[in-house]
Amino acid sequence: MVKKKVAKVLALRYMILAGILIILAGGLVLLPKYEKHEGIKPEQLLSNVISPERYISTDKLADILINQDPSYLLIDVRDEESYTKYSLPNAINIPLKKLLSEDFEAYLNQDQYNVVLYSNDNFYADQAWIICNRLDYKNLNVLKGGINKWYETIINPPKPTENMPAEAFELYTFRKAASMYFGVAYPEQFKAPVAKKVVPKKVITVKKKKKAPAEGGC
Amino acid sequence: MKELEKTKRISIAATLTILIVLIAVLSFERPKHLYKVNSINTLEKIVSADYFVSLDDINNPNYILIDVRNQFEYEKGNIENAINITTSEILSDNNTDILKEIEEKEKIALLYGARPNDVNGAFLMLTQLGYKNVKILTVNNSYLDNQLITKNVSIEKSNADIQAFIDESVKKASKGVKKKVVVKKPAKKVITVKKKKKAPAEGGC
Repeated sequence: MVKKKVAKVLALRYMILAGILIILAGGLVLLPKYEKHEGIKPEQLLSNVISPERYISTDKLADILINQDPSYLLIDVRDEESYTKYSLPNAINIPLKKLLSEDFEAYLNQDQYNVVLYSNDNFYADQAWIICNRLDYKNLNVLKGGINKWYETIINPPKPTENMPAEAFELYTFRKAASMYFGVAYPEQFKAPVAKKVVPKKVITVKKKKKAPAEGGC
Repeated sequence: MKELEKTKRISIAATLTILIVLIAVLSFERPKHLYKVNSINTLEKIVSADYFVSLDDINNPNYILIDVRNQFEYEKGNIENAINITTSEILSDNNTDILKEIEEKEKIALLYGARPNDVNGAFLMLTQLGYKNVKILTVNNSYLDNQLITKNVSIEKSNADIQAFIDESVKKASKGVKKKVVVKKPAKKVITVKKKKKAPAEGGC
């Protein structure tokens, strides 16, 4: 009798163990809930968002563009119309709407370039940055102030008044030179080349002088 | 007997595995904050641009104003009836409770800061965490004589047509060049006149 009972329990034991394993396996059904939880932790994202590290100033960007630093990639997140109207040199247009489309993923999710995102202000560029940062894309920066700031500081820099420190004048000289690089022409800018043309003309007159004594010899 | 020992070992191993799994499951702490909206839906929400509220519509009783600036700025001056939730503290337990309460009452949390750009982070965090009742008040806050001044602004407005500005500057500059060329031509003539004077002097020898 005792042996029979033991045998019964032995047989049942496997059933019970199998049952528990199946129940635990059933727990896997609950896992898809986490699917939406893609990317880095919210706490991490928040601390990244607060940090101003992502911002790059217009002056620095101008410097990068003028030195033609090949490690930087510019991405314009405005719509196509604004992009064709005016954009920074060699920028790529990725409208915010299409940010996550597969065609553009290669530009954003990579570690070869430093990417600079920009829009008119830095509102949309920031949003694009936050979404990409959540997906843990690296090397992304945002142009602080965007195109508007670019216009105010680089394209049309304000002239410093006389009571400003020397740094302000140095900055203005740099910005003015930069704006010339990006296509802005100043009236006085043309003075310099014209003055150079005058110099060869003087050389010509020197030659004429030599001819003059020869004529006089006769 | 050998058979029995084998099965014993197997059953011990199986019980141990189950125990370990159970302990793991029980000790698993569910993270406090989870995204409820994935990136693609977040992007759709951003692009829809239906989350901006202008200063004129602020008097809607459904709106609960939330100031995302820091405590110092908030105490210095804030819009009437606003609650202070600094962006960096937005995930803290206290604030989560406040936000949950607003959601339960079916009111709308209206975020504002010094500039709309500063609200972006808080807004996107909350949106991604699944709050559907969050909007941005599109205002700039500044101080004049320690008085808070709140002004409406438009988001991402292009301030200047840069291409037009560049073209204009080139046009102006090229006009300037023409004028200067005219000025320099008479200068040349003056020089040649001087030469003539020198030449006869040399020839005299």
